[in-house]
Amino acid sequence: MFSKILIANRGEIALRILRACRTLGVGAVVAYSEADRDSLAAQLADEAICIGPADARRSYLSAPAVISAAVVTGCDAIHPGYGFLSEDAGFADVVRAHGLTFIGPPAEVLERFASKEATRRLLEAHGLRTIPGSGMLRDEEHALEQAERIGYPVLIKPSAGGGGKGMRLIRTPHELETSFKVSRSEAKAGFGDDSLYLEKYLEDNRHLEVQVAVDRFGHAVHMGERDCSVQRRHQKIIEETPSPALTEAARQELCSRAVRAVVEAGYENLGTLEFLVDAKGDAYFIEINCRIQVEHPITEMCTGIDMVAMQISIAAGEPLGMTQADVVSQGHAIEFRILAEDPGKDFRPQSGQVLGYLAPGGPGVRMDTHIYAGYEVPSYYDSLLGKLSVWAPDRSQAIARGDAALRELLVDGITTNIDLHRAILANEVFIDGKVTTNLLDRVGSAPFVAAGNR
Amino acid sequence: MPQDRQGGAAETGRDTTRATAKSPAAGIDARTERDHQAISRLADDLLPALIAKLAASGLGEIEVRDGDWKARLRKPSGSGDRKAAGRSSVDVQPGHALGASRGPAAGLAHAAGEERERLAREKAQAEETANLPIVATSPAVGVFQPRKDLAVGMHVRAGDRLGTVDVLGVREDVVAPVDGVIGSSLAEAGEAVEYGQELVRIELPENSRGLGANGADREAAAVLGEA
Repeated sequence: MFSKILIANRGEIALRILRACRTLGVGAVVAYSEADRDSLAAQLADEAICIGPADARRSYLSAPAVISAAVVTGCDAIHPGYGFLSEDAGFADVVRAHGLTFIGPPAEVLERFASKEATRRLLEAHGLRTIPGSGMLRDEEHALEQAERIGYPVLIKPSAGGGGKGMRLIRTPHELETSFKVSRSEAKAGFGDDSLYLEKYLEDNRHLEVQVAVDRFGHAVHMGERDCSVQRRHQKIIEETPSPALTEAARQELCSRAVRAVVEAGYENLGTLEFLVDAKGDAYFIEINCRIQVEHPITEMCTGIDMVAMQISIAAGEPLGMTQADVVSQGHAIEFRILAEDPGKDFRPQSGQVLGYLAPGGPGVRMDTHIYAGYEVPSYYDSLLGKLSVWAPDRSQAIARGDAALRELLVDGITTNIDLHRAILANEVFIDGKVTTNLLDRVGSAPFVAAGNR
Repeated sequence: MPQDRQGGAAETGRDTTRATAKSPAAGIDARTERDHQAISRLADDLLPALIAKLAASGLGEIEVRDGDWKARLRKPSGSGDRKAAGRSSVDVQPGHALGASRGPAAGLAHAAGEERERLAREKAQAEETANLPIVATSPAVGVFQPRKDLAVGMHVRAGDRLGTVDVLGVREDVVAPVDGVIGSSLAEAGEAVEYGQELVRIELPENSRGLGANGADREAAAVLGEA
């Protein structure tokens, strides 16, 4: 096991990793930017170090700053959290070159799974169904030809993108013509890589993901799936497990197929395989996330596994120490992403001071957050204020607990989406477990916002 | 998007924040409505964010445009360096929040009453800040090495190299933010330092400190320091 880990991230995940380090008995240093000096992780840490200014490019995204901080504080490993440098193969490689361990898949594994297009082909070869799509697009003419073959509507996607960023829905050849160049330059500007590909767009799909863990020795387990169908513009808002859309047999089939495929493809450490599931219940693999996910707490609540501790142990070269039979998922869990966004003003991100904060409690309630009364929400980073997760023996009780917890949760001074969550919970489509990824965008958020205000 | 500009632009007056209206056409309701919205957006959303950004950045001045409106903020003498005040080591000190929220002095010409009050407070803070000693801070996280000949009492010019911080073998310069005389050293040679950590005190020569009180020199010093 490591002796001391540098936590190279911010917000709630920095705190989550700090907690895992403490339960493992491993030392931890929180690396923070000037804008995060007052964050809870920096305050609670035994040791914290300022690595740069607010601008993430010179702090959380700066490999030299992060690695130098690890070296001068005597750390032997770096936990990158999610986002920032968490899936950067080049960074993982440099970390290793400095005699440190990157907590995540080894550099060559990240490299192998870096391109979404190549990953889809790789895992298709290992038995996963993928959405009909194109290879890398050469030019506009090639794009039109491929779209014709796949059949409209299609999505135009940047190969280096993620989290729905830079993605465009195209319904006609004319739209493709007008969007192609823009998408290309956006991809170049956003990700430093202008490679684009097309994918068939599945209307009314659900977004499911399978959580897997693979150790260095090829032992692997899956920890069930998460349903992330409640989205707004491809950004997840509510996640739950298990998915109300799968039968037990379909769940077992999907999860075992997923874990088998990644083991055969040489994956290592925690990973999440994302699937789109169409109206017929067919699951298509879309991408793999080689890191801890924002929504991991719901899996932890149902399985009782500390996934961050597991991720650290695997990176330290330890065996999983469990088999699939040891993973028992119980009950139902739902996570609500509490965002500093104003749903009434087109979800404009909010910043400023949290004047008051009260965390909800009660059975099966978990709050992961870095905020506190008096905390200043910086305007430089994403709008995630925290994650409220609830667990109950079944889905309807989980919904009831979720609603009670959302009512208790108080974030004063900053406009949040708490009321929107309550409105979604009260919505029939959600209660029936029939949400598809396009629901919020199709009906718009307005009815939910209005309902939330009542 | 904010247009960041390195400090040094000549501006008159010491109240260095200002929002100017190019054409608030009177009499047209919609226009007035829009202007009111713009003013409240500037005051409520934009300015606090800008102040935080400016305070956290190494920049001397920031200007943003929003429709017909534009706001420009300029940092007073050395406030950027002062942010790290209260932190003297890599470990978190209980008082480490000190100064983090201390924005640059700001004067908003086009502001509502409460804005003016807030600005007066910040101006007072800036005055108080100006009496603190000037400190050269670390440009990066790494290992500090002072210049071999660095000694207390030595005269330095703004921009002079006082030492380096070694970042994985790459040396980044620690520079004097102002003209002055080397005071006490706040970090040992070979010590691990964090970004923004105070490393070397710079005393201002007596005459310059006196002049500084009227503001003119202080601004000149800040301009040199940020350039």
